Amino acid sequence: MSSTLKRKRSGSPGSDSGSDSDASGSGSHASRDEWQGLGAPDSQNAPSSSHVVKPPTGQELRNIKEATDLYRSTSFKFQIDALLPNVRPKYQHSQPLDAFLLSLHKLLVNASPISPQHPLQASRSLSKKGIAVPYIRPLPTEDTNWKVAFEPPTEVVLVGSWATKTAVKGKDSLKYQVDVAIAMPPGLFQEKDYLNGRVFQKRAFYLAVVAAALVGPKSTLPCEAFYESTSGDPRCTTLVVEPSGSSKEWSKLNARVRIIPFLPESPIPLQRLSPSRSNLRTHAQDDEAKEEATPIYNSAFMLMNTPKMHLLSVHALAQDIPAFTDALTLLRVWANQRGYGPGTRMCVRGFEGKGMLWASVLELLIHGEEPLRVGLSKTNAKRKPLGKGLSPYQLFKAALDFLARHGFGDEAVFVKAQDGHRFPPGSYSSHEAVFVDSSSSVNLLAGVPLSSLDLLRHDAQATLQALDHSSLSEDPFQTVFLQDHRDIFGRFDVVLRVDVSSAVMRAKSAHLVADYGSVYNALLANLTSVLRRGLGNRAKAIAVLHPSSDVRPLSQALPSSSSVVYLGIILDTEHAFRLVDHGPAAEEQESESARQFREFWGDKAELRRFKDGSITESVVWDVKSADERVHVPALIVKHLLQRHLGIGADAVQTWQNQFDALLKAPESIRSLYQARGASIGFKTALTAFDTLVKQIKALDEELPLAILNVSPVSAGLRYTEAFVPVAIPLASRPGIPSSASYLPAMEVVVEFEKSGRWPDDLRAIQKIKLAFFERLATCLMGAVKGLQANVVLGNGPVRKEIQDEVALDIVTPDGWAFRARIWHDREATLLDRVIDPQPHVPKAVKKPLTPEEARDRQAAIEAKEVYTRRFLHAPRHHRAVAALSHRSAAFAGTIRLVKRWFAAHWLLRSHVREEAVELLCSYVFLRTGARVQTEGAAGFVGAGMPGTKERGFAMVLEFLKDWDWTKGLVVPLEFGDRDASVTPDATKPPPSTRAAWSLATEFDPEGHMWTSHGPDAIVARRVTVLAKAAWDGLCGLESGDGDVKRLFHHPTDDYDFIVEVDPSLSPRYYQNVDADPSVWTVKGKYANASSKDPVSAVMPGFDPLTMFYDDLKRTYEDSALLFYDVLGGTRIGGVWLPNLRAPRPFRVLGGFSSIPVLKDSEKPKEKDRGFVVLNENALLGEIGRIGYGYIVKITQKGV
Amino acid sequence: MGSSSSPGKQRRTTTAGPSTSSTPLPATTVGFTVLPITYSQTATHVLYARSHSAPKHKDSKGKQREELPEGRTLFLVNVPPDATERELTVLFKACGTVERVVFSTGGNGAQAEQEANDGGESEDGSGTDEDQEGGDEEGSGSEEEGENNSRPKKKRKISHLEGPQVVPLPSVPLRTLRRTGHTAYVVFLDASSLARALKPPQKPYVWPVDIETPLGLAHYSALYSSLRPPLDVVRAHADSWMEAFEYEQTKKRQESKYHKGEAIVDEDGFTLVTRGGAYGKTLGGGVGVMSKQFMNEQGESAGTGGGKRHRKKKEKEKQAFYAFQIHEKKRKEIIDLKKKFDEDKAKIEKLKQSRKFKPY
Repeated sequence: MSSTLKRKRSGSPGSDSGSDSDASGSGSHASRDEWQGLGAPDSQNAPSSSHVVKPPTGQELRNIKEATDLYRSTSFKFQIDALLPNVRPKYQHSQPLDAFLLSLHKLLVNASPISPQHPLQASRSLSKKGIAVPYIRPLPTEDTNWKVAFEPPTEVVLVGSWATKTAVKGKDSLKYQVDVAIAMPPGLFQEKDYLNGRVFQKRAFYLAVVAAALVGPKSTLPCEAFYESTSGDPRCTTLVVEPSGSSKEWSKLNARVRIIPFLPESPIPLQRLSPSRSNLRTHAQDDEAKEEATPIYNSAFMLMNTPKMHLLSVHALAQDIPAFTDALTLLRVWANQRGYGPGTRMCVRGFEGKGMLWASVLELLIHGEEPLRVGLSKTNAKRKPLGKGLSPYQLFKAALDFLARHGFGDEAVFVKAQDGHRFPPGSYSSHEAVFVDSSSSVNLLAGVPLSSLDLLRHDAQATLQALDHSSLSEDPFQTVFLQDHRDIFGRFDVVLRVDVSSAVMRAKSAHLVADYGSVYNALLANLTSVLRRGLGNRAKAIAVLHPSSDVRPLSQALPSSSSVVYLGIILDTEHAFRLVDHGPAAEEQESESARQFREFWGDKAELRRFKDGSITESVVWDVKSADERVHVPALIVKHLLQRHLGIGADAVQTWQNQFDALLKAPESIRSLYQARGASIGFKTALTAFDTLVKQIKALDEELPLAILNVSPVSAGLRYTEAFVPVAIPLASRPGIPSSASYLPAMEVVVEFEKSGRWPDDLRAIQKIKLAFFERLATCLMGAVKGLQANVVLGNGPVRKEIQDEVALDIVTPDGWAFRARIWHDREATLLDRVIDPQPHVPKAVKKPLTPEEARDRQAAIEAKEVYTRRFLHAPRHHRAVAALSHRSAAFAGTIRLVKRWFAAHWLLRSHVREEAVELLCSYVFLRTGARVQTEGAAGFVGAGMPGTKERGFAMVLEFLKDWDWTKGLVVPLEFGDRDASVTPDATKPPPSTRAAWSLATEFDPEGHMWTSHGPDAIVARRVTVLAKAAWDGLCGLESGDGDVKRLFHHPTDDYDFIVEVDPSLSPRYYQNVDADPSVWTVKGKYANASSKDPVSAVMPGFDPLTMFYDDLKRTYEDSALLFYDVLGGTRIGGVWLPNLRAPRPFRVLGGFSSIPVLKDSEKPKEKDRGFVVLNENALLGEIGRIGYGYIVKITQKGV
Repeated sequence: MGSSSSPGKQRRTTTAGPSTSSTPLPATTVGFTVLPITYSQTATHVLYARSHSAPKHKDSKGKQREELPEGRTLFLVNVPPDATERELTVLFKACGTVERVVFSTGGNGAQAEQEANDGGESEDGSGTDEDQEGGDEEGSGSEEEGENNSRPKKKRKISHLEGPQVVPLPSVPLRTLRRTGHTAYVVFLDASSLARALKPPQKPYVWPVDIETPLGLAHYSALYSSLRPPLDVVRAHADSWMEAFEYEQTKKRQESKYHKGEAIVDEDGFTLVTRGGAYGKTLGGGVGVMSKQFMNEQGESAGTGGGKRHRKKKEKEKQAFYAFQIHEKKRKEIIDLKKKFDEDKAKIEKLKQSRKFKPY
């Protein structure tokens, strides 16, 4: 940045910073000299007293002030400064390139001319040299009556970003482009050449001759040359020159030279090329009367005029505006990261070779818009020029703001031109989007599909949101500039992989093909417009993604295009899942619009009568269940592809079904449930819960205390249980295979009215609870026929006296199971008293505890923890998560998928609590801007909020793989209105190794409520590794092979031992990712043989694997880390704690099963201590014995 | 528990041991007899046995002394986690009749053994740690003492009184899994058995699995149903327990020399001043003291209420009265600004080093 700007800025009074800094700023101005005076003696003293801090000089102060005022923050400025050199070529090393360019110039200028000849003859002579002439279609024939010729260029100019020093590194280590424009002599062209692509044929020949000169035997340049066609348009073929052989010296620059023939002046009158003119006479005889405009063709022609003009305008901007170059670099880095530029994967269609667009956007902001001629538009020069004094960051943000707000489909943009625009705005009506550059020659957005611009707009909105609203702990710099956003699964709600090789356009139009220059381009243009129309307001953006065009050898005349494209759709969740699309009303049966509607939708369009009495043409998408509603957009796309492009279902791949299958019971089990009249679904579960509450409250008279509240705390009652809850009526339960007999018990908390009659003793409270439950159970069973209720004493064989353990299992007649607990708030006070009986006595004065007291205290601490979590946090958490899942349709689905993933990797419940997973998902949803909804800015509602669970899942994985969990996380669960009250203490390390994650919420500023029992640091690191692997797998899905299930297959190589249990004895086995139906199908000879093993008793929540795992975990806590899959897993994996495998001295309280080892007597002093080592075999033997009859086998690593 | 060894110990044992399966086991280790126990062909468990010696230097409870008579009590370390009293009895049948088995996972007893074992070697640092963990474990261990009597200790105590009897909850003999590597005391009927048990055996013992107490899935099914007793039993238990509790409470109240609302006056005629109990009633009588918290709150509010304005004024005077103070303040502000700026710069430099700013 130049110093002139700095002076201007520091003097400007209108800085919008707070009054404090303003005061200090003005103060700094006034007394700057004085400080320097003070500073002088200081600096003399400095060597003696190094800690004396010198006040900053005026210059430094200006820098500081500038950084804070003109950028987002000081560190943001530094980060930008650090970023910029990394994305720019090292111009100082360009010496060898310059030498190369000089010799190139010499060679071109001295090329020998070729006299006019027939195009086919000319190409034949060139093909002998192995060079094909990239003639465009329709290819010249024998009866072509024009001739091609070559003369040396009249001018060779260095143009483009390299010349103006605004080059920006491309993605995927693409090379910098050094554009060399060569002017074709006007003498080669005739006035009529604008017609039917003749000028492009001549250009093609010209290019081929240049290529021949470069690589021919006479050439002295050590280089290789290729053809490249921007956006796959053969009319824009250029020559790419790369160094070869000995001239490697400038390959270090990572650059390549591109030769672009252009036409500075020609006999062709430019007004013939107005965007509304038709210059292609494809079927001249057929429909001469109807001349359709050829906008893309005309633009391609006009592009041949522009290189020099663009060079001049960018140069002028860079000279004029100090921040221009930096701002342009930032903008292009931003765009590249999002695929608006060249790259080898997932580039958004339409932005290839559009470097000038970004510069022009900035130009528009700086110089403003051309005032439209009066009468055409109500808005007259809407955009005021911003002026020249902005910082790069401000310019960048202004550009984003423009991109985020401007609707390209509705309104044309004309950058202010020197002397008005050449063509009237109306003539651009055949273009989809209009953005005319300042030279007024081309529409820079010609050929860019509107849907791609929708995506650009969406991305700009998301980025602005990140910059404006990132009050969370993360620094937006990372996501804005450093992160690659091209991964389709995390970016789009619906992803389809389409093989277009078999596509045939329904409305095949030769005109369209000719205008677009190739069938492929015309096809994709058709595709995007059809989809955009078909999806309407269901989608915020539809993007066609494919790798950008690549170089091809000189022997290949026409560009080839990848046959596979990806469709990415960002949904507008308000409309996306609508089941009916309405068309024109029945009265207009015969009208044009009705005909069009039927033509567009094909056999899907039908006349329907609706509830309100109207009869309209409509399209109805039938879905069987609520889950399938989410598939509607994909269904529409598939239908339209089939109808309009002839792309069959086999050529379109989606992943939604595979994801859905992960959250469903296997088909055979589902049909079994169906046959037994099961009620399925979260809504039904909630209804059952409400019914139960009513029934309980109706018992008021019979209970000693009135019930105040019954609140749900179960994932099944907040839509976030991995598997949809299912209830089978009690009568039909017998006969269900035992591997599908699991009945989840949904926890609820019962709160009685306050009463002084509760005993003031912890043990007695637990007994009273027993009495209450017994009463409740008896009354309920009396009141509701068929209901079963059982008092549960606890979890294990050992009773804990003061901890809340007792519960009531209730199974409703429909088969829903609930587990009720009683919340009595006096417990907390009593427990506190045990933990600290004398809160007023300072710690130092307190008596040391006797062992008995210490034991009581320990038990009380545990009980208090259980109490706090169960009765205070769980209900709040439940409410918050339930509220969120009402707000976003994809939220619950995401949680379910993520839970499934955690479970499949043997972490859920055993190391990561369900609530922790829910918090992580909430964070991912909330950080993308749910809170903006409260502001009411309609256009900005949750720009980054996922619309489908698949995308949510991908985003959570992406987050997990990059999350630095040592820093903790603040999850603004209450929608951000109080997030300022919780400030994460980022510097504070987690208090213990048991809790590596810190997920702070408004209720829980510490953030360890749900993570205090894991994951510990080891497991947390493992989560990161697993997330990385899964993310890579997800990216691998892009290539089309592979299966979503693969992400859910757990690698078991890292385990030291694996315990396998019998799947047929596991009541949850049917939930296994790879459940094998043969386990539960009847194997015996007789169909009724299975009834010998009936699940006669209903056992809600009975899951022996979990009980077994818990036992093992408690027993071997200090010997091994254990893992298992709670959702139908059949294996328990273990890793020995590493420090136990080395011999260590024997101790009585060793805490692990040991075996003595004979040590070498190197250290005689130590010998008598007797060394022992972990007795792995014995330990596994014990495990085998504890799980006798249940365990199938135990495998040990390396044995 | 103890496995969290201090780093010093780990350093001593850096070299990995040889494979343990092939080498013969030593007969004794640090004063413990090594008793190999065969689980299967491949797995051999090791019990460490020693005769129990009551701690001398600690004021051990007499109760424990009579429970674990010296001379005929075997102290076992590394008892299998699923061991039942019966299994241990059967295991040592060959040596003599076992009177009873006391499982104590760690706790004071085991620690004392450890100390005796170390011969006064002080266990600095880890002592307190163990204390707590030991205590924790005994908390759960003590309830397990009587295998067959699932009634907790407290209830048993109550039932000794002449008050109402507590109807016990039904109990099924179920295994209790203790933490691995825990300890137990085996009390023999006579002392000679102890000597026999301490002799290194000719061939390894075979672990007797008690088939009657279920294992595996059967264990969990049994546990599940035992945790859901019939409602009438629950009711009887809860009611009788509460009755006993009430009885106990009343009795305590009668015995207590403190009565609600009466001042406590000792024999010298001094009135005891006590803090307020629940609901503001002093347990012990008429004179109460203000709680410290309350006093603090009072003091604070009074202080802020009265002295706010005054203090504010003072500050102002101090800060910007003389010109040099203004200068100093501004100077400091600007230096702080610079410092923050430099900090940011340094932070970014550090990030730069880690090549963080290469976007692609």
